Amino acid sequence: MAGTGTAHLRDADDIVLRVEGLVVEFPVGRTGLTVQAVSGISLDVRRGETLGLVGESGCGKSTTGKLLMQLLRPTAGSVRFDGVELTTLSGEALRRARTRMQMIFQDPISSLNPRRTVRDVVLEPLRIWKRGTAAEQSAKVDALLAEVGIDPARAAESRAHQFSGGQCQRISIARSLVLDPTLLICDEPVSALDVSVQAQVINLLEDLKAAHGLTLLFIAHDLAVVKNISDRVAVMYLGKLCEVGDCATLYRAPAHPYTRLLLDSIPIPDPAAPDVPVTADGEPPSPVLPPSGCRFHPRCPAATELCATTEPTMRPVGDDQFVACHHPLVAGLT
Amino acid sequence: MTVLRRLRRAGGWFAATWLVALVGLAVTAPWLPFVRAADEKVRVGGKLQSRYRLGPGRHALFGVDNSGFDIFARCIHYARNSLLVGVSATVIGLLVGGALGVAAGYFRGWVDRIVSVVIDCILSIPALVLAIVLVSRLDDIRQELPGLGWVTRRWQVVAALSLLAVAPLARIVRAQTLALREREFVLAARSLGATSRRVIATEILPNLVPTMVTVASTGLGLLIAAEGTLAFLGVGLGESWGYLIEANRRRLDKAWWATVFPCLMLFVTVMAFNLLGDRLSRRFDVREVIT
Repeated sequence: MAGTGTAHLRDADDIVLRVEGLVVEFPVGRTGLTVQAVSGISLDVRRGETLGLVGESGCGKSTTGKLLMQLLRPTAGSVRFDGVELTTLSGEALRRARTRMQMIFQDPISSLNPRRTVRDVVLEPLRIWKRGTAAEQSAKVDALLAEVGIDPARAAESRAHQFSGGQCQRISIARSLVLDPTLLICDEPVSALDVSVQAQVINLLEDLKAAHGLTLLFIAHDLAVVKNISDRVAVMYLGKLCEVGDCATLYRAPAHPYTRLLLDSIPIPDPAAPDVPVTADGEPPSPVLPPSGCRFHPRCPAATELCATTEPTMRPVGDDQFVACHHPLVAGLT
Repeated sequence: MTVLRRLRRAGGWFAATWLVALVGLAVTAPWLPFVRAADEKVRVGGKLQSRYRLGPGRHALFGVDNSGFDIFARCIHYARNSLLVGVSATVIGLLVGGALGVAAGYFRGWVDRIVSVVIDCILSIPALVLAIVLVSRLDDIRQELPGLGWVTRRWQVVAALSLLAVAPLARIVRAQTLALREREFVLAARSLGATSRRVIATEILPNLVPTMVTVASTGLGLLIAAEGTLAFLGVGLGESWGYLIEANRRRLDKAWWATVFPCLMLFVTVMAFNLLGDRLSRRFDVREVIT
């Protein structure tokens, strides 16, 4: 797995975000080694679509999110957003370009400055860009706060620690919408929340997506969460993409052994359900010294010698389903 | 547990009361009827009370010294110098150290490397040696260069102590800024298009204030002690608690009050700043847990 290649990229007019060959390297201490946290990711997102990006902890999902926002600068690769290449921009031009792309973070409380009132936090983007008069700014902020279910009067006098995690995440969402973005990158927005609150926040995101015409990139480690919200899903492993495809197809017939493993790992809330045999064991290898060939081969039940020597590239295995694997779990293709 | 907490609270109140009283007395001393002028000799019934004749008592609260000066009055008047020097050095330390620390922690790269090397250099020299050398060097420079007449001993001591304050403050602020700049609310501000200046002013600095206030309070105590030490060694100010200790300590057997009371003033003041810093750090830690 661990495929590179761009066969899964589409050629449509309404592509909002197109990422090609994204690579980022970090130095490892003073050892002279580098770690490729993201190692040749290509993605695209159409207007109004929700792309789910899943993978286990440490596979580079969140790093990918930050690379798209240019909060981290990629070592190589291109990020085209609304027809503008972001990787070559800097300073004022970059600040301006990325206002139409916003991000929601995993830790809802840490996302809000503890020293400012929540309403101030939501108002800040409008102040930065001096959009509208003070009255217009207030009206917009109050409307958005009400829309996400936060009482504007309470927001004006309270700080982040006086709200629950779910409320803080709603406030973060309100802040991310203040500048009318087209693309929202949600970096595990519900992982830190209670299950009951998770559903509320996801429903809110769906509603807001419809109301504001948003495009979502939804990063999560939990396939069950992604399944409900995504149109398309991309599966990551150790800095590479394994499989990209239509959400329903991918869940019904995963083509990559790793996708299969992730799906099998979703617990079934039924004590009578039969135990699913675990098809891969061990921890993911260190990205500092990634395995040769397909990065998944040491843990893959279907691995052969070919997998250890040659890295697979993305190839189609069906209608809108692409996989980077030498031995996909699809009849007639091995 | 509750006893400890009560003690701690009492310590905080004691520190606050002591510092308010000391500052109040020091500032208003010239107008207070019960505080003599620093150079007014004590007379009882028209008779000069020199040669440590008077111990602590009705006529002179802390007794008199060899020349007949009132130790209490001198302690109060000289508190001005200790406090002024300490506060000036702390303010300079906060401004310079804070700016260096924020710049190093936020921008990293070569700025960080230069600032870190300078901090490490300053911290690797024994603080007192550095201060002594600086004060005496500044003395020479003042005499050699014209137009530096305003750089009196007081400002030389302030300059030396500021340098001592800058290094630890810059180091702590740098570490805090490094942690803060990765926090999500800073990332959010950046992705919303805030300029670096704005991110620092609205997101980073407000969150540094608790640390800076706490460190500055403890540091103020240390600087006042350092000022006393310089005076004791004869490279500081003549009008200082440290100088009183040095001038009277040889007669400790005959007139303990002339040494012990200035020592106590110094000790209690330094302790008060430490208690205050301790209290502040606890208070702000609690907030950190909540947020």
